[in-house]
Amino acid sequence: MHIPDGFIPLQQCAIYFIILIPALILSLRWARNNLDEKMVPLMAVLAAGIFAIMSINIPIPWGTSGHMVGGALVALIFCAPEAAIIIFTLVLLVQGLFFGDGGLTTLGANVLNMGIIGGVVGLYSFKIFRKPIGKVPAIFLASWLSIFLAAEAVAVELWLAGTFPLQAGLILMGLYHSIIGILEGILTVVVILALEKTRPDLLSWNQKRISNAEDDERK
Amino acid sequence: MRPKDRNLIIVAVVACLIIGVMAPFIASNNPDGLEKTAQQISSKEESGVINSPFTDYQITLLGDNPFSGIIAMIIGILIVLGLGYVIALILKKRKTKENSE
Repeated sequence: MHIPDGFIPLQQCAIYFIILIPALILSLRWARNNLDEKMVPLMAVLAAGIFAIMSINIPIPWGTSGHMVGGALVALIFCAPEAAIIIFTLVLLVQGLFFGDGGLTTLGANVLNMGIIGGVVGLYSFKIFRKPIGKVPAIFLASWLSIFLAAEAVAVELWLAGTFPLQAGLILMGLYHSIIGILEGILTVVVILALEKTRPDLLSWNQKRISNAEDDERK
Repeated sequence: MRPKDRNLIIVAVVACLIIGVMAPFIASNNPDGLEKTAQQISSKEESGVINSPFTDYQITLLGDNPFSGIIAMIIGILIVLGLGYVIALILKKRKTKENSE
């Protein structure tokens, strides 16, 4: 779902960059207060992993294809959408600069969709669904929603850009990404369960008490 | 670096490299969801503002083949891994040293 150059007029691209600035400032502040030394290797390998999965288009029906994103995964691991914003800014910049995947003028919009919307929807819908439906189904549903809503955001942005008609854009983007969302859900569940098993210390929700105490300290 | 962090990096990098090596064989040539939607309902063409050295995950010099794709993926994974590590190091918390283990 990388929006290429040419799909959004430059004035509108500027708006998405303006949205990106405060999001990045908040994220850098988050890192300064919360990113532990021991999370550094995790952040690096997650960035590499996100690059790898976003580069592969898996075939889905209707002669199309799609890739997993991983915004929900990053936000869930760190319990912070800010981590997703940092990682997606990096990965999308590298993909745009070196691989021609996603535009550079549309970088702000792409980070908004996959990093900000993906991360925020992933983390907060998980928090909403965790109690009523249980942890694993909530992880699945949250990551499905994160990619579905990111795709719908793309449809709305491209409607504002005059590139897609609204209704057809919402229907087609929603349809294709509801299928990719299933893969996204499975991937997110598998990676989180694997981390829970092998390195539970790296999942921020296992250190919640510590980070809450720090939050209070900050306030 | 602690041994278990080194193991994490090794396991994750191996997993990424496996994905990278498989990528040219499993990746679909079909347009992705966004490109497909664009073909169906829009007349806009994508227009790159720069010429990327590894457009479409291929190394231009090596032509369009799986080998070229694998090398491009490996380069990309290593670039992102390295930049990710450096950026995380720069951004990380600066506070009193706490020995967790």
